[in-house]
Amino acid sequence: MSAAALPVAIVGAGAVSAYGAQWSGLGRALLSGTQYIRPSQELAASHPGTRAAEIQSLPAPADQSERRARLLMSRSAVLATLATRAALTQAGFGAPRDDIGFYLGVGASGGAIDQLTAMLAASIEEYELSLDRFGDAGLRACNPLYAFQLMNNFTLCHSAILHGTSGPNAAFFSRGTGTVTALSEALHAIKDGECTRALAGAADSCVHPVTWAELCRDGYAAQGLVPGEAAGILALQAGAADALALIERCTIHSTRARSLAATLVDAAPTLAGMDGVIIAPWGAPPRAVLVEFIRQRYGLLPIIDVSAALGESLAATTALAWLAALDLITAGVMRCVLILTAGVDGELGVTVFTKEVVTCAAP
Amino acid sequence: MTRRPVFVAGVGAVTPLGVSWAESVAELALGHGAIGPITTFDTSGFPSTVAASVAHTFAHTDDRRLGLAQLAAREAWSMARVTAPPSRIGIFMGAESGRAKLATVLRLSRAAGGGRVFDHQAFGRQERALASGIEASVVSPAAVTSELAREFGISGPAQTISIACASGAAAIAEATRAIRIGTCDVALCGGVGADVDPLMLAGFGKLAALSAHGVSCPFDLRRDGFVVGEGAAIVVLSAEPSPLGIAVTGIGRTLDAYHLTQPDPQGQGAARAMQAALTDAQCRTVGYIQAHGTSTQLNDAIEARAIQRVFPQEWANIYVSSVKGALGHWVAGAGAIGFLCALEAVRSGVMMPTVNLTQPDPACPLRHIMGSAVRKKISAAMINAFAFGGANTSIVIEQVTQ
Repeated sequence: MSAAALPVAIVGAGAVSAYGAQWSGLGRALLSGTQYIRPSQELAASHPGTRAAEIQSLPAPADQSERRARLLMSRSAVLATLATRAALTQAGFGAPRDDIGFYLGVGASGGAIDQLTAMLAASIEEYELSLDRFGDAGLRACNPLYAFQLMNNFTLCHSAILHGTSGPNAAFFSRGTGTVTALSEALHAIKDGECTRALAGAADSCVHPVTWAELCRDGYAAQGLVPGEAAGILALQAGAADALALIERCTIHSTRARSLAATLVDAAPTLAGMDGVIIAPWGAPPRAVLVEFIRQRYGLLPIIDVSAALGESLAATTALAWLAALDLITAGVMRCVLILTAGVDGELGVTVFTKEVVTCAAP
Repeated sequence: MTRRPVFVAGVGAVTPLGVSWAESVAELALGHGAIGPITTFDTSGFPSTVAASVAHTFAHTDDRRLGLAQLAAREAWSMARVTAPPSRIGIFMGAESGRAKLATVLRLSRAAGGGRVFDHQAFGRQERALASGIEASVVSPAAVTSELAREFGISGPAQTISIACASGAAAIAEATRAIRIGTCDVALCGGVGADVDPLMLAGFGKLAALSAHGVSCPFDLRRDGFVVGEGAAIVVLSAEPSPLGIAVTGIGRTLDAYHLTQPDPQGQGAARAMQAALTDAQCRTVGYIQAHGTSTQLNDAIEARAIQRVFPQEWANIYVSSVKGALGHWVAGAGAIGFLCALEAVRSGVMMPTVNLTQPDPACPLRHIMGSAVRKKISAAMINAFAFGGANTSIVIEQVTQ
């Protein structure tokens, strides 16, 4: 049977978040109402009193090579490499890995703020910025890869280099639903035969003084947005007998011409045996719309709000929602989970994970 | 899976040689180049002082990426005469982050204490004044996609692909895929680069990636780095045949998984991308390749070897050129302007020369086009885009019978 005819299975996963460097137990913890928001250490000086979902500690580098590589990575890239390693390991995706597709939702990678200030500090002459000094002393003051910390693809490329994945790929700038696009593209790549195995997910961090300053400026802090950071990666394969879960659907729906509420009416499926809904909303307004819709359509199904428990990790929030769903399914708590993503991309993401193939009513 | 054909319905570009593709094509065919001294900021002390800049200014926006992309998109859209409903039109743009004004960046540094280490407390005290100077609409990679979607009334799928030098080509590949599987019927796609600014010039210079001589001469024995350029190249793709009679028939994407800034010396990732595109197109060879050809020692030699490996019998008969000799390296827009050059080759038989290529490197033994355009009818062409970080995209386009 061709790959196109088989359901795509999740055969491994990796995650790192304020919950920890794992995804096992994540869904159950969120279902029980546990939150991982604490006084922020990273933002304590610039934004005193801010609470955040910060990763408390990172696993050590696997070897000297990774230790050196981390010096050149943005925070998101470090998180992505950790989650990718875990997903590859659990899936048993060994070498060669040139048939593994890699599709990531990424944020706007920022260079380490210290690099920028070091560069500019070296460029100040008599209290004014001297471009002459900038081009010379300024350059010598910063990391050689500064320009590339400003490029968004390095979150993906660092992982690919460390883990040797060299198949088809794409990095989608994501403010929520871009991450669902990454999963959708991975599914299509497998079904098209472009690759036989794939990784899909996201890595991003909101816990950065400049990022948080911008979000405060745009009113999100006032809405109750809490900064977070995370990475989540799914390992995918067609028709695997030992699947952790199956992806029943993954669709993206534009909300540019219609409201989120109206889009939900047409886009959200009716599923036999659906156990719960996990939402990844960006901020209070889409959260309210999603919750109201779920109550009207699905009654009293349990709702898990990932960002309420783990903060807003921008491109990665949706990936955490997937991993929470995966945990609930693998633990036998649920068999069919709907994940709804409503970011500021202007789109709605609809993903369904199931324990086995289910029949769903339209759409 | 069944897949629909994908046709090219419209093209548009703003380049350092012209504010439209029609204007630029004529100049490119004559072998004219646009690299010259940077005049928009003081480059004294910078490792490179030249670029291929677009002379046009945009009074309505601080986001130069958007200004370039809008002009190019309007040209393409006008040509395509789109009739599909908005929900069936998608937009796929290759773009990286924009940048705040240097004055704002300077304020950031001062707000953070002005020293060599970021002073979080100082920043926090002053951040409200600072934050208002960082326009999300200018910096966000998705800003171009969002604004073009609004301008053209697009409410189908929207993607921003940020994969460095392969972004524009990857966006066209994503658009092709979306039409093939029926996610949309029409796609506005392409790429834009606006990196002629102090921060990116400094960053690339820091890597010693720029030509110390200020010359972009892909595949030339004297090449010593690339020259930054800027511009936008946009394509309208459609599930319906168009008068152009050209289809996107093959896409191939791989990762080198080798190094952050250097390509795999074996060129395996590049070769696999090209082979994947050919296999996808069910096509054995092409008449022309618009190479990535950056004018760096490594890329050009590795790409040449990869081309020979993929086309072992045919390579000596395949014309090859790189538009970066004339227009510099647009980074996120590079693959898209390459696509337009390849399209012109198939459409009119005009294959652009590699400007500044006068002494082909023996390590790059290809059928180069030097001086002025070669005019010969061909039915298929390939576009290569190989990015920093190792992402590779290759695309095949072909003349199709109506």
